[in-house]
Amino acid sequence: MNVALYFRLLARESRGSLKRFAFFVACLAVGVAAVVSVAGLSAALSEGVRREARQLLAADLTISSLQPLPPDLHELLTERPELQLTEIKELVTMAAVAHPTGSPGTSQIVELKVVDGVYPFYGILEVDPPGPLGPKLSSEAVVVAPDLLTRLELEVGSDILLGGQAFRIAGVVHSEPDQGAGPFRLGPRVLLNGDGFRRADLDQRGSRVMHRLLVKLPAGTAGESVERLATEVRERVGEFEGIRVRTYKDAQETLQQAIHRVEKFLGLVALLSLLLGGLGVAQTTRAWLASRIDAIAIYRCLGLRPNDVTKLYLGHAVLLGLTGGILGAAAGSLIQRFVPILIGDLLPVSDLAWWSPGAVAKGMGLGIGLALLFTLAPLLATRRVSPLRVLRKDVEPVPQGRGVLLLLYGVLLLGIWSAAALQAQDAKLGSQFTVGIVIAAGLLSLAAFVLMRSLTPLGRHLGPVWARHGVASLAQPGAATLGSVVAVGLGVILVTALAFVEKGLSDELRGELPTGAPTAFLIDIQPDQWPAVERLLVEQGSSHIDSVAVVTARLRTVDGKTVSELAKDSPDDEDRRWALTREQRLTYLDELPADNSIIEGELWSDPEAWEVSVEEDFATELGVELGSRLGFDIQGIPLDLTVSTIRTVDWRTFGINFFLVVEPGILEDAPQVRIATARFPEQGEQSTQDVLAAEFPNVTLLKIRDLLDKIARGLERMTSGIRFLGSFSILAGILILAGGISAGSVQRGQRVALLKTLGMTRQEVAAMMATEYALIGVVAGIIGTAGGVLLSWFVLTRSMELSWQPYPRLILTSLALSVILTALTGIVASWGALQRRPLAVLRAD
Amino acid sequence: MSASPRIELRKLTKVFHSGSADLSVLNEVDLEISAEESVAILGPSGSGKSTLLALVAGLDRPTSGEILIDGQSIQTLSESELALLRRHKIGFVFQSFQLLPNMTALENVQLPLELLSDSRAQDRASELLDLVGLTDRAHHYPTQLSGGEQQRVALARAFAPSPAILLADEPTGNLDRRTGRTVLDLIASLRRRFGTTLVLVTHDSAAAQLADRRLALEDGQLVPATSDTDGLLAPSG
Repeated sequence: MNVALYFRLLARESRGSLKRFAFFVACLAVGVAAVVSVAGLSAALSEGVRREARQLLAADLTISSLQPLPPDLHELLTERPELQLTEIKELVTMAAVAHPTGSPGTSQIVELKVVDGVYPFYGILEVDPPGPLGPKLSSEAVVVAPDLLTRLELEVGSDILLGGQAFRIAGVVHSEPDQGAGPFRLGPRVLLNGDGFRRADLDQRGSRVMHRLLVKLPAGTAGESVERLATEVRERVGEFEGIRVRTYKDAQETLQQAIHRVEKFLGLVALLSLLLGGLGVAQTTRAWLASRIDAIAIYRCLGLRPNDVTKLYLGHAVLLGLTGGILGAAAGSLIQRFVPILIGDLLPVSDLAWWSPGAVAKGMGLGIGLALLFTLAPLLATRRVSPLRVLRKDVEPVPQGRGVLLLLYGVLLLGIWSAAALQAQDAKLGSQFTVGIVIAAGLLSLAAFVLMRSLTPLGRHLGPVWARHGVASLAQPGAATLGSVVAVGLGVILVTALAFVEKGLSDELRGELPTGAPTAFLIDIQPDQWPAVERLLVEQGSSHIDSVAVVTARLRTVDGKTVSELAKDSPDDEDRRWALTREQRLTYLDELPADNSIIEGELWSDPEAWEVSVEEDFATELGVELGSRLGFDIQGIPLDLTVSTIRTVDWRTFGINFFLVVEPGILEDAPQVRIATARFPEQGEQSTQDVLAAEFPNVTLLKIRDLLDKIARGLERMTSGIRFLGSFSILAGILILAGGISAGSVQRGQRVALLKTLGMTRQEVAAMMATEYALIGVVAGIIGTAGGVLLSWFVLTRSMELSWQPYPRLILTSLALSVILTALTGIVASWGALQRRPLAVLRAD
Repeated sequence: MSASPRIELRKLTKVFHSGSADLSVLNEVDLEISAEESVAILGPSGSGKSTLLALVAGLDRPTSGEILIDGQSIQTLSESELALLRRHKIGFVFQSFQLLPNMTALENVQLPLELLSDSRAQDRASELLDLVGLTDRAHHYPTQLSGGEQQRVALARAFAPSPAILLADEPTGNLDRRTGRTVLDLIASLRRRFGTTLVLVTHDSAAAQLADRRLALEDGQLVPATSDTDGLLAPSG
């Protein structure tokens, strides 16, 4: 067959198949759109991060620590005139409205950023009025985020109190290049300079101040010079001494890793939509080719070879795959374009590419590849059509050999696994995904089979004729029951699981605080302030007041081995490195709080040793056990402690708890601050906060409710993105269902016509179809919901270590929506058959 | 006339396996048909006429025996080789017309010529449609044509590549008597024009009159048709 004839035949074969082709293309396009949007967004973010690497840090290099940076480090850097330096301090504190009468004004927790020098070195600080930041800040003037103005009902030019001192608001800051991504902020930003900070006197002992030094190398300096400087600094300060040195490349790497982690997960969610699309493609192709069997027999009779026939339909699959791929890629790129508009503030970079050629190639490649994979079996089936059908209609295609069948399944599984491994960038995760899909599809197929076998005989005993016929339709030859149940069911699993996890997370964060749990934390209380703070809390009606001393320290050794060595031994274990090198916060107590339980050892039992009690998970991270020796440095003074108990903590009580609790009689004279918890009267939260802010401006108050709400809001925005992707799988499921139904439209039309001729009304026929599809919805809904609930239980309890709730309402909603959507789709897809006049159909027959 | 017959069947046997029972439809059938000869095979429904036709066309495989087309044994050919044999040598006419529903009348006739890479496929197809009197229906789809018209298109398609052999399976079975007559006349005139060997399978003795030689299938054997045989014919199912 020459090329011209091949394309002529392709065109002729397409006639009258447009509806089927539309389903093929739509199923594929939905999946490709999901894949392209995830890959595209991720590629655009990666590219943005690469491009804006210096902006993300606002410098070439930053050095940060919770302790003031050592003077010799300053010397090292200041003796090199080519370097530009800016000192930054960041802390959380309270701001309040300066009230002319002297009574306490409304207060608000804020995130303070103290800037001494040029800021930023790279990127854009959006301030209003526009212009450099330096001149706007003075010992008496600050720049604040717009939401602080809203919350405190202030405007530019008003005064606010910081540390009890009044500052004039000189402008508004909209964004900072190095603010990082994410929805979690304790309060609005306030920018001030060093003079202002000293005047506010907020740098008191024990305050949590993050010191950061921004370093800029001369313009055009190669990346290697930045790395060299970073190495030099690290050598001078010691890498694990609580001082973090980051180059713009490190910052970029951290973000890239985060992007890839998210991409892996979302990539698999998108792949599920694509696989469902593939299922739809297989179903549509199978139905289409089944309708072409007679034509294939004629072709063979006229002299087309089996290979010619297969090539002809393969050509269609390729062309349709291409069309679906292109449309899906366009839709995916469009989504990529709009996502930043919806959740731009959650993204680390702003100026994202409109589309990503790599993502489009990946989406189209995966889409077309999977489309061909899923059409392989129906395409090969064309070879088994006997030309003898031209003489005898009852000649069925030769059955597929068992070996070929097994090979086909093998190829399909291998294809799915490859796609999953590619999307997850991880062979193991790809395998788990494939096994999960196979199990879920297997269970759904089994359920569909049981439905067809068991319900059909039962249905004969049903009352109304439409119900009997509706049930019987499920098992009639050519019914799309199996494919529909699997497709809808897989979609329901994903969406139900997402809904459960989202609700579980949200409830965990938004749920009622346990009775007696504190509603607020007070931090940075100086020890001599505590009696007055406590008195104030009591006067304001607070209950459950609790307070402990906090001593900050650094861990130097574990069983004689230095923390630096230990951290170097586990370069990939972020949790362990964090546990070893963090600023350790110690307290001392006679008795452990009620929400602690000792699981090993006995509290303060060894008169010979100075003891410490370690929380179980933290002990695991540190790699310590009973009898281990921890060497601390408490502001220059070494202290060796022996682990004498390991305990668990119920963190959900929100009480004051510590990883490390030290035996009394050791730390009492060490430099310390106090933190406190209290349950504020319900109506008096704001006034208590305002009075506290007015009388103790250095004390920071964190309202637990607000904090949890903020986290919940942030999580909800992130999960909404996942839900959006999940909805693609439902769309794919519905398309498959509609495609399956419409594939049998000819037989359906004939059946409807016959039933109408025999006296069934249109309403009864509609009720019959509703019964059929509702039953598909019931089975897919039950199995899908059960699967989704199980998956959510696994994710919540195993992966997130949260509690799991059954949420009966969510289960019912999932079931009801499955049934309603499936029945509606069925009716809509059969609308044509319902409307046609019986005579027209029977004549055509 | 060539030395070897156009179609030769040697001890051709076809047994269908149905459950535990074997049904022998053709039993060591021998037959020679020379070029340009026309043979009608009569027999009641289920006697094996269509099976015989399918075997000659290479649409089915015999249980045993040999089929030779122009001296070439065809039962050892692969499916692809059989397709090429049909493409080059065999035309078909069926009871149920078997037009491709998504092609116009002209395209249906064009297709066998296109498969032979005939650069004048469209012109030849038009000529053929003209011969069967359907020039004005060339761009109609099969569903837009009457039964008689469809069968005339099928005839044009069968004769388009000037095949050496035409196999006709109850070509008038689905047509009324008058239309059937027209179709038979067309077959006769086209056959003469193209010098085609004809194997006509029918239960209709009137149709069989078209052929030079009339045979009947009885108990799996070919025997010369007699008036008795004709009288035994049952309406086709």
